[in-house]
Formats: sequence, structure tokens, C-alpha cells
Amino acid sequence: MPLFSLRGRRPPLAVVPDRPAPQPTLAESALEYVDQLYSLAVHLTGNASDAEDLVQTTYARALAGAAQFHEGSNVRAWLFRILRNGFIDLARRKKIVLEIPDDTLDARVPESTGLEQLRFITGSEVRTAIASLPVEYRLVVLLDVEGFSEAEIAEIASCAPGTVKSRLSRAKAKLRTALQEPR
Amino acid sequence: MSEEADRLVTAALRDHARIPAPPGLRAKLERKYLAPRRRWVLASVSAFTGALAAAAILLLLVRPGRPAEDLALAPAREAVGDHLRMLIGRGLGVEVSDMHQVKPWFAGKLDFVPPITFLGDDDFPLAGGDVAVFLGHKAAQLVYHRRLHVISLFVFQGEVPDGDRTIEGFHVVMWSRDGFGFALASDVNFDDLHTLHAKLQ
Repeated sequence: MPLFSLRGRRPPLAVVPDRPAPQPTLAESALEYVDQLYSLAVHLTGNASDAEDLVQTTYARALAGAAQFHEGSNVRAWLFRILRNGFIDLARRKKIVLEIPDDTLDARVPESTGLEQLRFITGSEVRTAIASLPVEYRLVVLLDVEGFSEAEIAEIASCAPGTVKSRLSRAKAKLRTALQEPR
Repeated sequence: MSEEADRLVTAALRDHARIPAPPGLRAKLERKYLAPRRRWVLASVSAFTGALAAAAILLLLVRPGRPAEDLALAPAREAVGDHLRMLIGRGLGVEVSDMHQVKPWFAGKLDFVPPITFLGDDDFPLAGGDVAVFLGHKAAQLVYHRRLHVISLFVFQGEVPDGDRTIEGFHVVMWSRDGFGFALASDVNFDDLHTLHAKLQ
């Protein structure tokens, strides 16, 4: 048993007030998702500077259009959709050609031969493999990592839920192939 | 076999895909979108309550900026917490006194090579290293000795506000360089920590 523990130091119990706690404002709620939005932005743009600009543009657009947000709606999904649209605008301005994924391609991958390699993947290998995906595949994979449902991803990516399912499957197959390549 | 590969890919994405925002971005957004609302509320109050409220506003406006202070305290608390966990029994992953043995030990355990070249000397002998989790990121923890005291150095990808903090009697010195954040934590005095800081530059 340790001689002392940080966990043992608890603040004194607070008196519960009769009045309910004030609800967070839209800006306060929105700012909880800075890390998640930045992560997607940096994967989409490929660099930290554009990613920061994209996140700042997302918040500027979201809070300027706060009247369009319906109370009780999903703030997180709304922000991600604004970020995705902002990225498409940025790509147009910078004349970046977005590769359109061919959703009709076969998603099957050869039977696993490099399973051991998958057990020792580093962060940089994962990020490089993600960067090799078409943008729309990157988007669905990263939204899936953030815990969005297929229906929510479809709403954010402006496509059908069936398309999300197939893109997710193909994206993971491509990632698996990339991560199993000899290093 | 295929299911196992899918499971491993999903786990790798969960563990490595997220890239945290630089602390400065959050602070910038908070200053932009939270502070104006507070100022507007205060201005409204001043219109109704006159000079007394205006004086209160003046006091509120000239108080030290809270977001910057909070930004430095969180990593300082984390450094002291991780330093204490090592002291009270977690021990070190590798216990050697040669950086050439410590650095290879991190290979495969971290996504980066800790940019540390100070091998330790008679004043600050190197004791070993370990992998720590610092503010949600994997970090290298290097341990130096100063006489009978122990000093932890945390190195992680990201930035940390520069500055000195004292948490529960422990001193912390933090700085950033080339995309890496550094935090020294110990019960030695600030002079010793600054000396080690200079050797690590």
C-alpha cells in the first residue's frame, strides 16, 4: 500500500444548489471538440498550418450561423459537417484535385500474410497509411474512429448510408494492405 | 486470420489515428469566442448599475488572464503526478546510466525518437527511462539523479507553455522546442532544474 496517494485527496463535498446549473452556451459546447476537429483537419489537409486555419474557419462559420443550429441537435456532427464543407472549399481554392473513390472496386484483400507486422504498427505508419487513402475514404475512416454511427457519417459526408458502409470497408481493406507491406 | 487482421487494424487506428490540437489553438479559440461574451455581459451590467459596476468591470478586465495560467498548470500537474507514480513504486522500464542504452530501449515503444543528447554527468547522472502517458500522449520519461534527489524529464510530441510552476511542493520547468514538449519535475530547487534545463538544450 503506498504511503500516500493523490487519489485520496478529495475536495470537500459541495452543497447542491436548488437552482439547476446554467446550460453551456453553443460556443462552450462547440469548443469541447477542438482536438477531434483538428485531428480530422490535419489528416485531410496534410499539414498543421492549413489544419489550424480550417478549424478556425469551422468555428467562425458555426458560430456565425448559430441561428441555423436547432437546440437539441448533434453539435458534434454539425461541426464536423461544417469542417468537411470547409475543406472542400479550401481544396477548390488551392486547386487540389480530390480523388473520387471508385466505390465499385472489389474490397477484398489477399489472405493475411503479414499478421505479425500488424501487431507492431507505429503511429507514423498508421498516419502514412491514412494519408495514402482518397480523401472521402480518409473522412469515413476518421469519423468512424471518432465513434460516429454510419447514419451520422452519411449526414456529415453528404452521401447515402450504404456508400458509407462500402467506403469504410474498402478503406480498411486498403489500410490493411498498406500496413502489411514489407517495411 | 482475416478477422484478426481487421481487429489489429481497427485497434491501430483507435490508438494512433488521433492527432491532438496544439494548445495554442484552443487558447486562441477560447479568447475569440468565450471572452467577448463575458465582456458583453459585463458591459450590460455596467449600463444598469453605474459607476460601481464599472469599477468591478475594470477589476475583472485587469485580472491576470486565466486561460494562459490554466494551460500551464495542467501539464505541470500531470508531470508531478507521473513523477510521483514512478517514485512510489512503479519503477523504471530500463535502469541504466548510459543514454546509448536508454535510447534504443524506446525503439518500438514510442512513435518518435526523444531529441535528447545529454548523457548525464557527475552532477546529474542518468538513472534510466520509461514510457509514460502525458496528457493523453505517449511520452519518454528519463530519470536523472541530483545528489539524493530524483528528477523526471518528460518528452512528448506537441507543445507546452514555457514556464516554472510549483505543485504540491514539487517544482516543474516546462519548455517546447522543434515540435516537442519538455517537462522537468522534482523536489530539487529551481536552480538545479534550470541547470539541468541548460544542459538539455
